[in-house]
Amino acid sequence: MPYSVLIVDDSPVMRSFIRRVMRLSGFEVGECWEASNGEEALAELREHRVDVILTDINMPKMNGEELLRRLEQEGTLRKVPALVISTDATKNRILRMLSLGAEGYMTKPFSPESLREELERILGDRNG
Amino acid sequence: MADELSQIKSPTAADFTAALGQVAGKVLETMFFTEAVVAPCEHSWFSSAVNVQVGFDGSHCGAMRMAVSEEAVAPLASSFLGLDSEEARESEKSQVILELANIVCGAVLSSLWPESKLLLDAPQLAPPSGLEEGWHCCLELPEGRVAISIRLDGVVESA
Repeated sequence: MPYSVLIVDDSPVMRSFIRRVMRLSGFEVGECWEASNGEEALAELREHRVDVILTDINMPKMNGEELLRRLEQEGTLRKVPALVISTDATKNRILRMLSLGAEGYMTKPFSPESLREELERILGDRNG
Repeated sequence: MADELSQIKSPTAADFTAALGQVAGKVLETMFFTEAVVAPCEHSWFSSAVNVQVGFDGSHCGAMRMAVSEEAVAPLASSFLGLDSEEARESEKSQVILELANIVCGAVLSSLWPESKLLLDAPQLAPPSGLEEGWHCCLELPEGRVAISIRLDGVVESA
């Protein structure tokens, strides 16, 4: 079954890259929504059914940390798993994002295969 | 090398430079689908290169400078975006090179100081200066050249 995905990143070329490598990896992508910050992401989530969120951290208006906090506060959105994709591979940052409710954390650089494996783990955990 | 670096009690400038080359090479290979090898320094191409600066703050303060040779810009952008060569628009080429700098900076700093608390500034196009300051590494790709320098201005233990 194809999954509906929301990509949240302020860089249009990074959103394009993620969309492409998800498909390249063989991960079954259905609808693919995009947002350039947390505010836009919340609006997209209220509008569309989304199976998984892939989010950056550093973004204008509302960053990835605040997005995770808001997801935790909103009953229905709390169920949508979030995978953080960031250049920041420091232990402090990873632990912080996981403590805020992220279900996975991928650091750049990442391969198409590792992205698919992480998405399947997250969605498998949810579905299993 | 980068993973090993945290195990070394007193890394030397050569250790940092080697880690810089290895991490940058991995970024180019994994996300830009090209092969980068550390090459002897030759800087005559800097003046025509696309130059980017990324400042960083937090427990470690400083800046990363990166230069991408003119002929490498379009192929790297096309490769990242999955487009045919020369298909990328000018604005996309700039955005991809800024993204490359952002990824390399984050990956290198996290590898050098995994216990740190870092904040990266947004990458910005910059004049071709400061490229030889601090730890420096030149890489050769089939598409052209990339040079990276990291200047560390200070470490704040309590950050």
